[in-house]
Amino acid sequence: MSTTAAPGVPARLLRAAPWVALVVVLVVLPQVLQPYWVNRVTGWIPLAIAALGLNLLTGYNGQISVGHGALYGLGAYATALVVNEWDWPFLAAIAVGAVVCFGAGVVIGLPALRIKGLYLALVTLAVATLFPQLVEQFSDTTGGTTGLAVTSLQEYRGRMRERSVKFEPPEWTGLAADQWRYYLFLALAAVCFVIVANIVSSRVGRSLVAIRDNEVAAEVSGVNVAATKVFTFGISAALAGVGGGLLALYNARVSSGSFTLAVSLYFLVAVVLGGPATTLGPALGAVLYGLFKDVVEAEVLPEAWKPASPLLLGALLVVTVLVAPGGIVGTTRQVRARFTARRLRGTTPP
Amino acid sequence: MSQFLQFLFIGLGNGAVYAMIGMGLVAIYRATGLLNFAQGEMAMFATFFVWTLDDVGLPLWLAVIGGMVGGGVVGALTYQVVVRPVGDPHQKPLAVVIVTVGLFLAFNALAQLIWGTDQRPLDPLFGTGELQLGSTYIAWQKLGALAVLGIEAALFYVLFMKTKLGLSMRAVASNPESSGLCGVPVSRILLFGWALASAVGAVAGAFMAPNSAVDANLMQVPLIFAFAAITLGGFDSFVGAVVGGLAIGVLTDVVPKYVGFVEKMPTAPAFLAILVVLLIRPQGLFGSTRVVRV
Repeated sequence: MSTTAAPGVPARLLRAAPWVALVVVLVVLPQVLQPYWVNRVTGWIPLAIAALGLNLLTGYNGQISVGHGALYGLGAYATALVVNEWDWPFLAAIAVGAVVCFGAGVVIGLPALRIKGLYLALVTLAVATLFPQLVEQFSDTTGGTTGLAVTSLQEYRGRMRERSVKFEPPEWTGLAADQWRYYLFLALAAVCFVIVANIVSSRVGRSLVAIRDNEVAAEVSGVNVAATKVFTFGISAALAGVGGGLLALYNARVSSGSFTLAVSLYFLVAVVLGGPATTLGPALGAVLYGLFKDVVEAEVLPEAWKPASPLLLGALLVVTVLVAPGGIVGTTRQVRARFTARRLRGTTPP
Repeated sequence: MSQFLQFLFIGLGNGAVYAMIGMGLVAIYRATGLLNFAQGEMAMFATFFVWTLDDVGLPLWLAVIGGMVGGGVVGALTYQVVVRPVGDPHQKPLAVVIVTVGLFLAFNALAQLIWGTDQRPLDPLFGTGELQLGSTYIAWQKLGALAVLGIEAALFYVLFMKTKLGLSMRAVASNPESSGLCGVPVSRILLFGWALASAVGAVAGAFMAPNSAVDANLMQVPLIFAFAAITLGGFDSFVGAVVGGLAIGVLTDVVPKYVGFVEKMPTAPAFLAILVVLLIRPQGLFGSTRVVRV
């Protein structure tokens, strides 16, 4: 970070430029897109938040979880039940979901202190397959495979009734319902994003990476390995829960079919494609996955080829790991660093 | 009591299948130090070969052998094209998990693409008859599964302990670099290991399928049971896979019959078994302890 006064300013502006551009694009997007596409893009945000959480755990901390779909589901059901039973405001319901998932994350994180690497992946895989069965087991509360409609008390034809949740924009905004929902989701995602960026750049963030790279060395250097790992698992789970809560409100319905093992795998896809251990990587990965699902699979692929879409994803995943293990963000950085090095070599005398 | 015996044999019969998948997992783990998350999907793929051959009119046992050959080829190709380039799983566990997850998605989708999403019925290898012992009825299919497991375990024992190929496989598993220097063709041995593991999957699938039907999701839950089995038995022990498989089979089929709370959660006992074993005795019953040097 250069802190010199006058000449530093343009450089700083230059560095801020892509971020400003990103924010502008995200804000303008719902104004130019058709409502159908605004809804689709809004649907990618829950996945992006969950991927953000998984990235904190797997990318930065090196604890492999194949079970975040279960935490996503837990957050979704917690949020749905709070909205249904207590009629709490959405944000409060999502907060409850996040807290529940934080607790669940800590519970899974405690055994993860002894179970590492491939074995942790194994345990979380079992969690992922167990979750839909758990929903079935308690189908009285959860609605099982049929699902559970997420409803709130709303005025309808002059009377208060339980109806599917809706995001009504306040008068002063002048926004359509789909745009309003997009902005709410985006704002929440931005908050999560800033929280994670701050964690990563803090002392805790450095201990996360230290633990991933060499646990013993980290411990010797004074990092409280156990506390850090459990905390990371909790935060990561809470983020997955926030994503799940948003998904429940987005669909106005939760069902066991939305939280199968495949969902956990798609989070991993998003993280790995976008770039593990990078700030924007998982969001980028989630967008790519969304584009893949809603554009390539829904619009481009012919009907007979639809089942092939996970095949393409799987192939993409394998190729990414083999060819560009840094994902999109990591690989871009590498390429840019190489160009810079070449340029510098050209200009400065050896 | 007779009812309990009946449940017990259903459990043992299913456990034999988990043990077969588990033996495939152990073969790959011992050779490459990798937990293959795509093992179940590869077995499902091989089971579709069995179904196809059976469908064109071959006798079932011949179809199973054909499925084993097909599965073996798929396993060998997978190793050669995808797994080998990734490198050492101990160094990069994340990359390896991601690759096998990618394979999981790919095989599942590929099977749906080739064979569609219909449920394909497959006849039991040992027919639908039952053996009557007093008031207990035991399906021949379950006894057959146990017998086949016994044969398979014996063949594995002979292969690993009594042949030069097996000796090479054990050498590669214990130290790939040194065995390479001694002239063992490491890559080819690993290729064979993958082919073997995948071929065994065809047999497991052929026993699993008559319980429901052949479809792309056939092996997802059995894979969890197989993982539980090798966790219990020890990741690098074939004896462990057999004992663990039978134990998990009994646990998952008998417990839910008597404990109402978990009736809709078939994988719950397996999950608890995995968790408890990894926490209390991570090397499992028969596995070897791994010492990590700092």
